[in-house]
Amino acid sequence: MFSQLSARLFSGSGGALLGLIALFVILSFASPFFLTTRNIINILDQVTVLGILSVGATAVIITGGIDLSVGSILGLSTMVLGWLSHQGGWPMWSAMLAAIAVGALAGSINGLGITYANLPPFIATLAMMSIGRGMANLITDGQQIVGYPEWFFNFSSERYLGFFSITLLVVLALYLVAWAWLKYRASGRSIYAIGGGTEVARLAGIHVKKVTIWVYVAAGALAGLGGIVLASRLDSSQPSAGSGYELDVIAAVVIGGASLSGGVGRIGGTVIGVLIIGVLRNGLNLLGVSPFIQQIVIGLVIAIAVMADVLRRKRA
Amino acid sequence: MFRKIAVTAVAIAATFSLAACGGSGGSAGTGGSGGGGKQKTIGLAVANQQADFFNQIRQSVEAAAKEQNVKVVVADAKGDSNTQVSQIQDFITQQVDAIIYIPAGATAATVPVRAAKAAHIPIVAVDRNPEGAPGDTFIATDSVAAAKTLGEWVGKQTGGKGQLGVIQGQIGTTPEVARDTGFKDAMTQFPGIKEVARQASQQWAQDEGYQLATDMLQANPSINIFFGRADALALGAAQAVRNAGVKDVTIVGFDGDKAGLEAVKNGTLGATITQPTQGMGKLALESAIKLANGEKLAPEQLQAGVLTTKENVDPFITTHP
Repeated sequence: MFSQLSARLFSGSGGALLGLIALFVILSFASPFFLTTRNIINILDQVTVLGILSVGATAVIITGGIDLSVGSILGLSTMVLGWLSHQGGWPMWSAMLAAIAVGALAGSINGLGITYANLPPFIATLAMMSIGRGMANLITDGQQIVGYPEWFFNFSSERYLGFFSITLLVVLALYLVAWAWLKYRASGRSIYAIGGGTEVARLAGIHVKKVTIWVYVAAGALAGLGGIVLASRLDSSQPSAGSGYELDVIAAVVIGGASLSGGVGRIGGTVIGVLIIGVLRNGLNLLGVSPFIQQIVIGLVIAIAVMADVLRRKRA
Repeated sequence: MFRKIAVTAVAIAATFSLAACGGSGGSAGTGGSGGGGKQKTIGLAVANQQADFFNQIRQSVEAAAKEQNVKVVVADAKGDSNTQVSQIQDFITQQVDAIIYIPAGATAATVPVRAAKAAHIPIVAVDRNPEGAPGDTFIATDSVAAAKTLGEWVGKQTGGKGQLGVIQGQIGTTPEVARDTGFKDAMTQFPGIKEVARQASQQWAQDEGYQLATDMLQANPSINIFFGRADALALGAAQAVRNAGVKDVTIVGFDGDKAGLEAVKNGTLGATITQPTQGMGKLALESAIKLANGEKLAPEQLQAGVLTTKENVDPFITTHP
């Protein structure tokens, strides 16, 4: 009875949910500061950017692709935001829309490169990773932009009902929309079909190229949104922002049970993957674990999570 | 199914306890002895432990903490200011008594200082001070003055004539700007020295210095002065000079980290500025304790950087200032 129930609860997330619960319990005992409202708020705040990027990456990875450019696009967007609003004199809102648009544009170039120039996703987005970072630096000749309006900073720092910041609400809404889209919309279902095999998907009447391009556009636009959230969180924009985030994002999605070979992945799993990374980092900091050992632990957790998942699939 | 769950749980628990052991190993000595008065805990947010300069400061903070019987928790932002904001939030959650903040990334983010102040935790800024939200005290080398001294040495050494290649650090960072200002100031006294090349690195790293200097020599074989804005950059340039087979090039760095000092001793580098990292780390910890006890400190505590050449390098190698 119990075993049946647990099987239903944890199917699909590959034991990741259980890992998260285990982490939570262990940390609650290990550190007196862990299980406090303030710290839960911190953890959620700390994973907002990772969470936003991971939504796009989930879709990309389900199609069997990969997006290495999200960190750079984030950097580019955050610089566009700062440059337009500071040097360009644009109103903040239009600068924010422009930042998202630039992200979407970069994503569409990824998508076009993959579908029409037949570049492997790894290569197309690797190229964009370099181009985006270069442009992010070029905009202000490598200078950072400091100081946004107070209301913009408050997006990430002011808590409504003592808990929800605007950025956190945006992330929650985003996950709800993404979940519904992947589950109930035809285009959402079709990305699983593409990940399962493009030829079969094409024969089933799916516009493979169109859907693929839109998936990368979404990933790019979300990176743009991530750039805005990061600017609010740091109250500044810097061209090196987001360096290396692509790997954290991929780790989160994979821990959540998505397969890099495509066709498999769930938004609920990604939530868990993102939280595992966030809780782990936070918990290790609270325990005062040496930064060098933290890197080792995070590497081990990634390996263990995926190993557990592979084992589960083999037996199933 | 159940067995699998158990296996996963055990695996994760094992990973975790490994981490916990490793973590407590460092502080075991101090943990037991804090029985009497309440032992103070200081959070140290390091910008990037891969850089020797920051790593030295960390080591000296830890050494000083041991003497004072204070517990130090360290977090490494790996050069990313977003990570660092999270780490400082975690310090605040742990209710540390004071925070030592070495800003990461190009911007010295104001957010950590604001968050600490909101939680009434004193904060010591080291190396860079966030504009608009300075730390309760700020500890750094007076880079402008030191870079000027370095520039004057270069001018004298070369007889005021030559072609200069500059390998910058990360553009827009305070140290880069300050070192530029000071060195340029000195160069106004030597109109015979022409700056013919200037390129920026991203990470202040030796391989970048090597690449940039190689390309500079390719374009301008007559360069006879290199200023690497950090010792690592200068060492990279020195390697490039050796490979290019050029003679009589004066190469200077900045920071006085261990490799840099060795290089000054064996003549690879002409001179460097030794930043008193040990002193800075010790001062940072003492300042943090004083602030935690409610004392007020000067808003800035600038330390002098020492021009280091073959003549005075030896004592710095045995004990770093």
